[in-house]
Amino acid sequence: MKGALTTTWDRRFDRRELLRGGAGLAVAAGLAGCGVGNIDRGSKAETEKPIKKRVDGDLVYFNYSQYIDPELVKKFEKRHGVTVRESYFDSMPAMMAKLRAGIKYDVVFPSAEYVQRMRSGFLLRRIDRDQIKTIDTVYSYFHDPWYDPGSEHSTPYGMYATGLGYRADQVTGMTGSWRDLGNADSGDRSFLLDDYQEAIGMANLVNGFPLNEVDTDKLDESGDYLVDLKPKLRGISTDTITNMVSGNAWIQHLWNGDIVNIRYQVDNPDDFKFQKCREGLPIGNDNFCIPVNAEHPGTALLFIEFMLEPEHAAQNVEWIGYPMPYDGAATEAFNGLVKGDPEIGITVDDLENGQQFENLTGEGRLAWDEVWTEFRVS
Amino acid sequence: MSTVESRPTAPARPPAGADAEGAPLKPPKAFDRPRFLKFFMGVFFLFLFVPIALVVLFSFNSSRSLQDFQGFSTRWYQTFFETESLRDSLVASLQIALVTMVIATILGTMLAYGLVRARTRVSSSLNVLMLLPLVTPEIVAGASALLLFTQVKLDLSLTTIILAHITFSISYVTVVVRARLVALSREVEEASMDLGATRWQTFRLVTLPALWPAVLAAGLLVFALSFDDFVLSFFTTGESPQPLPVRIWAEIRFGVRPTINAIGTFMLVISVVSIGLALLLPRLFGKRESGLKVLLGREGA
Amino acid sequence: MNENRFASAFLVPGAVWMLLLFVAPLVFILALSFGYTDDLGEAIYSTRLDNYERLVDPAYVPVLLRSVGFALAAVVICLLIGYPVAYYIAIFGGRWKNVLIALVVLPFFVNYLIRTYAWIALLGDDGMVNGVLDTSVRFLNTPYAVIGGLVYGFLAFMILPIYAALDRMDPSLIEAGKDLYGGPWQTFRHVTLPHTMQGVLAGSLLVFLPAVGDFVAASLLGGPEEVMVGNLIQQQFQASDNWPFGAALTVATMAFLLIFMLFYLRSAAREAREATA
Repeated sequence: MKGALTTTWDRRFDRRELLRGGAGLAVAAGLAGCGVGNIDRGSKAETEKPIKKRVDGDLVYFNYSQYIDPELVKKFEKRHGVTVRESYFDSMPAMMAKLRAGIKYDVVFPSAEYVQRMRSGFLLRRIDRDQIKTIDTVYSYFHDPWYDPGSEHSTPYGMYATGLGYRADQVTGMTGSWRDLGNADSGDRSFLLDDYQEAIGMANLVNGFPLNEVDTDKLDESGDYLVDLKPKLRGISTDTITNMVSGNAWIQHLWNGDIVNIRYQVDNPDDFKFQKCREGLPIGNDNFCIPVNAEHPGTALLFIEFMLEPEHAAQNVEWIGYPMPYDGAATEAFNGLVKGDPEIGITVDDLENGQQFENLTGEGRLAWDEVWTEFRVS
Repeated sequence: MSTVESRPTAPARPPAGADAEGAPLKPPKAFDRPRFLKFFMGVFFLFLFVPIALVVLFSFNSSRSLQDFQGFSTRWYQTFFETESLRDSLVASLQIALVTMVIATILGTMLAYGLVRARTRVSSSLNVLMLLPLVTPEIVAGASALLLFTQVKLDLSLTTIILAHITFSISYVTVVVRARLVALSREVEEASMDLGATRWQTFRLVTLPALWPAVLAAGLLVFALSFDDFVLSFFTTGESPQPLPVRIWAEIRFGVRPTINAIGTFMLVISVVSIGLALLLPRLFGKRESGLKVLLGREGA
Repeated sequence: MNENRFASAFLVPGAVWMLLLFVAPLVFILALSFGYTDDLGEAIYSTRLDNYERLVDPAYVPVLLRSVGFALAAVVICLLIGYPVAYYIAIFGGRWKNVLIALVVLPFFVNYLIRTYAWIALLGDDGMVNGVLDTSVRFLNTPYAVIGGLVYGFLAFMILPIYAALDRMDPSLIEAGKDLYGGPWQTFRHVTLPHTMQGVLAGSLLVFLPAVGDFVAASLLGGPEEVMVGNLIQQQFQASDNWPFGAALTVATMAFLLIFMLFYLRSAAREAREATA
C-alpha cells in the first residue's frame, strides 16, 4: 500500500518537473532573440533634441549612495523650489537593471565606459554645453573624451584612481608595486577588492599587459597570478572603509576617495596612506547623464549647472572625498584635503597616462567572467 | 518508529493545567535540571543581546566614535528625523511590512488548512509549489521578481515590493501554521459539526482560535522578515522612497555611522511596540471564546 | 458541502498567487538560462546550452559542498541552542511565555546588516572582545565567523516552529511519559521529541535552505576561501551582469536543494495522512 502511494507520488512529481522544464524551454524558444527588458531606447532624433533649461518638475536622481553632499541637494531644492527624489544603486549593472525596468530617472551617473555603451544604444539625451555657465572649468581632457566625443551626452562628475591603501604605522616594505598586496610584512591583513574588473585589471597590469587585455592565454596568466595571491590574502571584499577603519586590514585594494573617507573616521589619519603602483594606474570617472526617457530634463540641466558652480563643486569635493575635474575651487578643495599626501590626488598627467576600463566585447567579457569565477571557486 | 504507537494516551483527563480537583498544577519538571536550563537561557540571552546593546548604546553617543562612549546625546536621532528621505523610507518600510503581514498570513493560513485537510490530485504538487520559495536563494527571488515585472512592464513601486514580499512570505506562514494544524485533534471539530455548526462556522469558531498562536507567530515572523528584508526590496524597489534596509545597505558600506545605529534602535522600538500590540490582541480574542477554551482544555493559550 | 470540497476551496487563492508571482518568474529564469549576453551586456533569450556546459566543471563542486556544509553546521548549532530555549519557554515559561518568546524574537527586529556590523565591531582584531580579554584572536574572515553569522541570522526560524509544536503539546503527556519510561531522557526521546518532530523538521528546513543561498555572511565575515553558492549567483546578477549564467547557476542550485525538500515533503505528507486517518 505504501509502495503504491509513494510511486504515484513520485510519478506525479516527475510529471510536474517535466511540465515546468517544458514550459521553460517553450518560453525560451518563443522569446529567442528578444532581449530582457524594455529599456526606453530613443531614436537618434530624440536624443539630439535640445533641452530647455528650466524647472519642469521634481528631480528624479539616481546615483551611488553617499556620493553627493546632502546640503547641496537641499540648497538646490530651495533655490528652484523643487524636490529631489533620491534613490541609489551600488553598481553599474544594478543601475542598468532599473533602467531596463523602465523607470524614468532625470539624472543618472554612469561610469565612462557605460556612457559609451548607453550612447551607442541611444539612451542619453544631448547636454548642451553652452547652457552650463561654468562649463569651461572642466579639465580640457574631458572636452572630447574617448567615451563621448565632444562631450555631448555627459558631463564629468567624480574621478577616481585605484591603488593600495595601507597603514604606514604597521606595514613596512612597500615597494610601490601592485605586488605589495602580497606583502609578507602586512601581518596577514591584506584585502583584495571584490570587483572583477579591478582585480583582473590589476593582474593584467602586474603581468605587463594592458588593463583591458582579452587574449585568453594572457588572461590565464593573470588568473594564475590571482590564484597564487589568494593564500596571502585575508579577505576579498568591497567593504574597504570598514576594513581599514576597524584595523582588520593593513593593506587594502581600494579607490583614492576611500582613503579620504577613512581618514575622516580615524584618530590617526596620517598613518593611512595611498600608493599608486608603478605597473599601471587604473583611472576612471563618473558622469552626469540625462536618460532619453527623463520626464524633467530641464530640471536635470539646471542641476548639472548648479553642481558645476565653483563653490558648490568645492563643497561637494570636501564631502564625498573624491576629486572632481574642474579647475579652480574644486581642484583647490581636493588639494587641501590631501595636503600631506598629494599622491592621493589625480593630476592631468595621471589622466593622460593612466589606463581606463573600456567596454569589452561579448567574448572578452565572458573570458573575464570565467577567469574571475574560476579564481573565486579555486 | 511510528509516532502513533509511542504516543501515550492520557486517561479521561480534566482540563490540562489542573489536577483532578481542578486546582492549577505547577508546571511539570520533565527534566530534573531546570537550573542548568536557566543558566543556559541566561548565557543565551547574553549572546543574543550583546550586539543589540552595542547598537543601542552607541546610537546615543555624543561623539561619532563607535568604540568610546563619550556622553549621552540624541543628536543622531535628530539627524534621522530631520532627514526627509529617511523619514519617507521608514514610513515606506512600515507600510510594506504591515500589508505583507496581513495578506501573507491570510493566504498562508488558508493554504495550510487546504493542504492538511483536503485530499486532491494536485495536493502533492501544491506542496512542492508552496515550499519552493524556501529553496530559492533570496538573490534569485529578487532577480526573478525584477525579471517578471520588467517583462510584464509593471512599473516598480511600493506595490511591486509588496507583491514580492508576500510571495516569499506565504511559505513561512504555511510551514508554521501547518506544524500546529497537523497535530490538532479533529474530535472537537467533529463534535462542533455534530452539534449543528456549518463547516465554515466550525472553521471560524473552533479551528481558527486553536490555530491562533501559530498564526500570530507566523504573522510576527512575516512582519520581521519584511521590515528587515533588503535583497528582495533592492531588486524590486522603484525610484523613491526606498525601504529602510535598502538605505542602510547603501550607506553602511561607507562606515557605520551613529545615525545608522539610531535607525536600527528606532526600528527595534517599533518592533517592541508591535509585538506588545500583538500580545494584547489574543487577550481580546480569548475573552470572547473562553467557553471554547474550557472545551479544548487549554487555559491561557 | 463535503469536507474535501470545503478545504479545497481554501487552496485556491494561495495557489493562484503562487502560480502568477512565483512560478511565472521562475519559468522566465529557466528560459533565460538558455540565453546569452550581447556586446552591450544586454541579456538575450535563446536556446543555447553554453551556460550549462560551463557549469559542468568540477571546480564548482567544492563551492556547493561548502555551502551545504556551512548550512548544515548552522542547522545543528541552531538546533542545539534553539531546542532547549524553546523547551524552557514552552514548559517552564508559565505566565512569562509570551514575554520570553518576544525577547527571543526581538533582536531579529534589528536590521540584519546592523547586527552583523555590530558583531564585526565586537570581534575585530582590535575590537571589544579582544580588548576585554586582552588577546588578539582572529575571529573574523574565518569559516567559523561565517557559520556564526548564519546561526545568529537564522536562529529565530528554528526556535519559533519548535516552540509552536511544544506549546500545543499537552504537558500531562510528559507526566504520563515519565510514569511509562522512568527517566527524563527516556521521556524526551519517546514522548516529547516525536511530538515535536514536525516542528524540528520545519525549523531545520527554514534554517538550512536560506542558509545555503546566503551571501551576506560569507561576504562580510568570510575570508577568500569562504565562497558560497549565493556569492556566485550574486556575482552574476549584480557585478558581472551576466543574467543568463546566473540563471543557469540558479536552476542548478535549486534542483540540488529540491532533493532535501522532497525528504521533508514525504514526512510531512505521511504525518498529515496519519493525523487525519
